[in-house]
Amino acid sequence: MRPLASLQARLVAMVAALVLLVWMATAVLTWFDARHELDELLDSHLAQAAALLVVQQAREIEDDDRSLDAPALHRYAPKVAFQVFHEGRLVMRSANATGEPMIPPAEKFRSGFRTVQIAGTAWRVFAAHGAKRDVQVYVGEQVESRASILWAVLRSTVWPALAALPLLALAIWWAVHQGMAPLRKLGRALAERSPQSLHPVSLERAPSEMQPMLDSLNGLLGRIQTLIESERRFTADAAHELRTPIAAIRAQAQVAMGENNDGQRRHALQSTLEGCDRAARLVEQLLTLSRLEAGTAPATSAFNLADLTRQVVADMALAATGRQQSVELIAGPGALAMQVSGDAALLSVLIRNLIDNASRYSPAGSRLSVTITASSNTAHLCVEDSGPGMTDADLQRLGERFFRALGNDAPGSGLGWSIVRRIADVHSAHIEVGRSVQLGGLRVEVSLPLLHPPASPRGREVG
Amino acid sequence: MRILLAEDDSLLGDGLRAGLRQHGFQVDWVRDGEAAERELRAEPFAAAVLDLGLPRKDGLDVLTALRRSGIATPVLVLTARDALPDRVRGLDLGADDYVIKPVDLHELAARLRALVRRAHGQPVERLSAQDIELDAAARTVRRGGRPVVLSTREFDLLQTFMLHADQVLSREQLEQHLYSWGQEVDSNAVEVHIHNLRKKLGSALIQTIRGVGYMLVRRAPAAEGES
Repeated sequence: MRPLASLQARLVAMVAALVLLVWMATAVLTWFDARHELDELLDSHLAQAAALLVVQQAREIEDDDRSLDAPALHRYAPKVAFQVFHEGRLVMRSANATGEPMIPPAEKFRSGFRTVQIAGTAWRVFAAHGAKRDVQVYVGEQVESRASILWAVLRSTVWPALAALPLLALAIWWAVHQGMAPLRKLGRALAERSPQSLHPVSLERAPSEMQPMLDSLNGLLGRIQTLIESERRFTADAAHELRTPIAAIRAQAQVAMGENNDGQRRHALQSTLEGCDRAARLVEQLLTLSRLEAGTAPATSAFNLADLTRQVVADMALAATGRQQSVELIAGPGALAMQVSGDAALLSVLIRNLIDNASRYSPAGSRLSVTITASSNTAHLCVEDSGPGMTDADLQRLGERFFRALGNDAPGSGLGWSIVRRIADVHSAHIEVGRSVQLGGLRVEVSLPLLHPPASPRGREVG
Repeated sequence: MRILLAEDDSLLGDGLRAGLRQHGFQVDWVRDGEAAERELRAEPFAAAVLDLGLPRKDGLDVLTALRRSGIATPVLVLTARDALPDRVRGLDLGADDYVIKPVDLHELAARLRALVRRAHGQPVERLSAQDIELDAAARTVRRGGRPVVLSTREFDLLQTFMLHADQVLSREQLEQHLYSWGQEVDSNAVEVHIHNLRKKLGSALIQTIRGVGYMLVRRAPAAEGES
């Protein structure tokens, strides 16, 4: 059976069913108990009557064969009968008793109770004999009369209960309805909220059972609020970051339009193009970041980290050479065979950003180096430069969105770092930033879990 | 007119400086908040263009500090922060205008001229003294209705005098109003320009106050005006 959809209906049904069950159990117990008590009482009456008859027979032994026409005083009288035999002869009987002994003579006479069938009717019979065993007394009573008393007792117990059942069900329904008022109140409170409203739900006198639900609901709302706020901040920051290059493009273009001097117009047009490149780069970074922050799991495949790094370094070498910077790639023992698992495209973005940062924030003529090494179960990728590095305070704020270290004219939004952080997070990679011992500038080390530990350690230098 | 531009973005700063120069402003460009505050305290700029997201000191903090110490230089806030509370806060903190990036250079120049004009109690774009009329937007000067051709410096000097009509300005003050940093100033450059102005506009306009400086007289004195 499908469980009832309504909590209220379920509670009412269950409570009513339980009450009914308890009542029925009570009725059954009452039945057995009443029957037992009734049997004892009536049996003792039969025995008492028999004893009286025995005693009487002992005194009036000479009067033979008397049918005692006891007056039918009571409507139960026909249901009670007795017989007195003396030396096998019927000496006395009630009007409704036959001449045959109530207990067939085939059976051996035994004093005590017995239930027998007489003319198709069940009788409860008590048999007794006198002290000299010549007098036999049978006192019988129809079993049906006992049953009707029992039924009467049961009726008096069950009928009021059955009559009260609808009332009780109504009372249960009302009580459950009252008990569930806080739930309905919560429902109303939630329904009345505006979709934008994320403040915590508070319910006056909320029952303790609802508190965990309210707490987790409020926790959820809080998390959503944080998420929305960070989204909003991101959008605002992104708009802010985009407005500046657009303003620059606009200003430079207007300058170019109004400029008569050829050299200055060329400069303004050059700056316009530069602004376009910057805006495009910024948009690309924002898209990357927003995809990363959407939390979609990256495409995972196994690939060779050394090959990927070599490819990125090769791509970046031209730009660095343009700034009179040298780039080298150094592979440690076993590094060429390093297999890692992750999104190769994202990891190449990470490496590209690190090299790009190193190049941008280092002056012309600087040295950049990318080192890959393998340890027991980790791949290390280390990007160093001979640039100015960063102060401790700047290192602390690194990775805040749009944070840029002060005192450089390098164009950039500071988004590169956020992207690096996010990609590292997605790949459970660890990032460490510090000062380069070899080159004196910034040193960034990314540690990635290795897919297979290196097979045979061997060293080779490339790049 | 000499303007301070505080903008940390090199590309935008460069563009604004070049653009405002095309509109006849002398532009000094700083890239952080502390430098902006220092310069505005030290020099008599006609107005300032202030970006809010400046390194070292936020633009709004610079503005608050300046206004608290009574520096009334008109400030135009140029920013990417467009939320209404930001704008209200900026104006409440003492900004005279609030412009969202990106901005049209013509509009920016017009707004700056308006700021400077209002700061000197001038309701219209034209300044006048005696029979001289100066149109700051068109950068034209007329004497008795006839156009007079002035060099850039002469125009700037006349504009400075007309904005500070009936006030004595020292030679140093005039130099500060006229020249942005790094520009070579001959020791007698101001005197040369004043001499040229007197030649083109009449000798009664600018008077020499010996030992103190120069003064533009708004109304010609009736008694000696025609002498």
